[in-house]
Amino acid sequence: MSEGKTKSRFMSTKGARSVMTAFIGFVALFIIFSVLSSNFRTPANVQNLLRQIAPILIIGLGQGFVLLTGNIDLSIGSVVGMVCMTAGTLMTKGTNPLLAILLALSMGLLVGVLNGILVAKFKLPAFIGTLGTMTLARGIAQLVNNNRNTDFIGTEAQWFRDSFYYGDILKVYNAFWIGLILLTVFYFILSKTKYGRHVYAVGSNINAARLSGVKTDNIILSTYVVSSFCASMTGLMLLASAGMGTMDAGGSYEMYAVAACVIGGISTLGGSGILLGVLPGAAIWGILQNGLHFVGAPVALRNIVIGIIVILAVLLDIVRGPALSKKG
Amino acid sequence: MSDYLVEMKQINKAFSGVKALEDVDFNLKPGEVMALLGENGAGKSTLMKILSGVINRDSGTVKVFGKEVGDLNTKEAQKMGISIIHQELNMCPDLTIAENIFLGNEIVNKGLIDRNEMNQKTREFLGRLGLEIDPEILVGDLSVSVQQLVEIAKALSFDAKVVIMDEPTSALTSAEIERLFNIIQDMKDNGCGVVYISHRLEELAHITDRVTILRDGKFVIEGEFSDFTLDRIITNMVGREITEQFPRDPGVRQDIIFSVKNLSNGKRVKDVSFDLYAGEVLGIAGLMGAGRTETTRCIFGVEHLESGDIYLEGKKLSINGPSDAIAEGIVLIPEDRKKDGLATELSINDNLALPNLDLVSNKFGVINQNKEKNLVDSAIKNFNVKLASKADNASSLSGGNQQKIVIGKWLSRESKVIIFDEPTRGIDVGSKVEIYNLINELKKQGVGVLVVSSEMPEVMGISDRIIVMCDGKVTGEYLHDEATEDKIMADATAFEIKK
Repeated sequence: MSEGKTKSRFMSTKGARSVMTAFIGFVALFIIFSVLSSNFRTPANVQNLLRQIAPILIIGLGQGFVLLTGNIDLSIGSVVGMVCMTAGTLMTKGTNPLLAILLALSMGLLVGVLNGILVAKFKLPAFIGTLGTMTLARGIAQLVNNNRNTDFIGTEAQWFRDSFYYGDILKVYNAFWIGLILLTVFYFILSKTKYGRHVYAVGSNINAARLSGVKTDNIILSTYVVSSFCASMTGLMLLASAGMGTMDAGGSYEMYAVAACVIGGISTLGGSGILLGVLPGAAIWGILQNGLHFVGAPVALRNIVIGIIVILAVLLDIVRGPALSKKG
Repeated sequence: MSDYLVEMKQINKAFSGVKALEDVDFNLKPGEVMALLGENGAGKSTLMKILSGVINRDSGTVKVFGKEVGDLNTKEAQKMGISIIHQELNMCPDLTIAENIFLGNEIVNKGLIDRNEMNQKTREFLGRLGLEIDPEILVGDLSVSVQQLVEIAKALSFDAKVVIMDEPTSALTSAEIERLFNIIQDMKDNGCGVVYISHRLEELAHITDRVTILRDGKFVIEGEFSDFTLDRIITNMVGREITEQFPRDPGVRQDIIFSVKNLSNGKRVKDVSFDLYAGEVLGIAGLMGAGRTETTRCIFGVEHLESGDIYLEGKKLSINGPSDAIAEGIVLIPEDRKKDGLATELSINDNLALPNLDLVSNKFGVINQNKEKNLVDSAIKNFNVKLASKADNASSLSGGNQQKIVIGKWLSRESKVIIFDEPTRGIDVGSKVEIYNLINELKKQGVGVLVVSSEMPEVMGISDRIIVMCDGKVTGEYLHDEATEDKIMADATAFEIKK
């Protein structure tokens, strides 16, 4: 019954070590790139780097919810594209930007509800169910503007572009602020509320959770809605950034999201890891893209490096995992 | 040659600093059954895992057939003739019986699997156990007791000289147990040594030659079984006198608190009706597969009910899931701890708090940490759970303490009906008595207690009234004083002859 009061409450939570490891990794990469490239270490690039991290951070938060229940959401990359194209198309056709945002957002959420019903009620394997909606959502992204990217979304939408991406507060771009706010809110929900505990319980042992009175179907469905909300926010962010809707926006983002989670210590088996890890996870993804660009590495090399980092992060988790418990 | 098949001396083993075995000695002679006894966490399984190469010792010597051996892996141990039947079933449900039995030792002909030969041999092995089933049936389609027999057949397939059986009978029917004992007798006659681990002390008399008792990872005593009485074994296991194996407080039966009428689920549960009184312990006896567990799961809303009604305090309930049942004040402590009871990779704290989060959170669902701490601490204290830190994973606890968590997490709520499904399966004598005392305490508080148990002495010892089930139906009912083992057994096997 000795709960060390000396140890901070955060560090005593499980998964905190993975978050710290990822954070230290990020700092190390930051120092390495700063030494290697004088263009990297400029204040403007650091601002820029934080902004680049934002979309992966946000979509990673949603994927984190789903992974914690032991499921996966493959559809989110396509939802990014679908929301981006839908909002973009509506704006270019003269719809009020706010209305366009809300309509596109609801479409995104609808995909989340559909995923949730397929996985929770109809017991489809998450991988298969969301593979289907992934293709479906990408199809809608292509359909909404007759298989063309949209034109420039126009000056009435300038406020939208500023508030979602280009504006800044205290020299930090809004995109990153949005990510931080969502991170804080979601982290609070997962760590301090009944709902959050239920999410972990479902991921750890769904039978025991159900027999303890957890409405497991509702929990799983809700995580898919959170995930599609995050993907929709990411889609809007990419639209704000580019100023036009592109059909392949968000391609492979579902996998980048998994990568950010896994680097940050969220297990794909469910039930373990903390959402804060997505921040250093996404940051490592971002700094590799950004930093390798500044040291002149080709795109192919960046992908190879990121792939290796993901594998290392999981290996590290597996190697140090079982040594902790297990009794005969 | 030495007189012993196995000699283990001064064995030490620690898991992350915690000593599981301390200077333990153990030996086994040819042609004998050595019972290895002790409470949960005493180190029995750890010792046998060392012998069979599943884990390595920290120090100590092991001699097999008189020859000193270093650290073995499981394959080497098998080659030397050491075979182990694990407590938990270790089989691949999607492979056939034959594929499971020959897993890792497949019979190969010109580089290809010889399926016919494997099936033929499997038939022989199963035949020795009196099982006549197709070796190509998938293991996942078998009942638990047949799975356990297959596991035993697998151990026999190695031509082992030393066979370790860790709780081999926990899922077997009495006829199957008898067959197993005959096989053990055969093995003895052939000069094999058998190490037998069991919590069912009544069984031992039929087969045991010698006993070794461990307690808290230390060697306590070894001797001829005939020199021991049951009481002496228990005293050595727990290190204290246990006055009563089944403490029961007759109590006062009050009004009917809970009734089920004509429950059917279209499968194992067929037209089940009974009443439960406040302040009463109602036992449900029967054989494996009699539909007892399914009945409790239907009441709790885990399984779908086809027809029938459930009444609590005279009010008809509509239960669509466990959360509805809990809200009404009905809770179920499930039979399968690992599958249904615990989230083993969550902390002890989170497991204890899980069903009670509504009691410690505000209307927005935000958890009050002080309230949660109080609730969890008092659950741990009231039930005397032995743990290092409540932040540790539930998997770090011994079986008996895990079961205390599974039960203890429900005691912070004011429940009206508490259903225990096999509450003491596979746990040690000391913890069992603590659970019986708790049941008495609940009874005193006026709770209606339903206990499903396959252990006849237990269900007869603790129940105020017993109903017997067979083939999904209630076939008998007795008050505590009327019940005898013969009557219950007759009802439990009262199968209707199918036309």
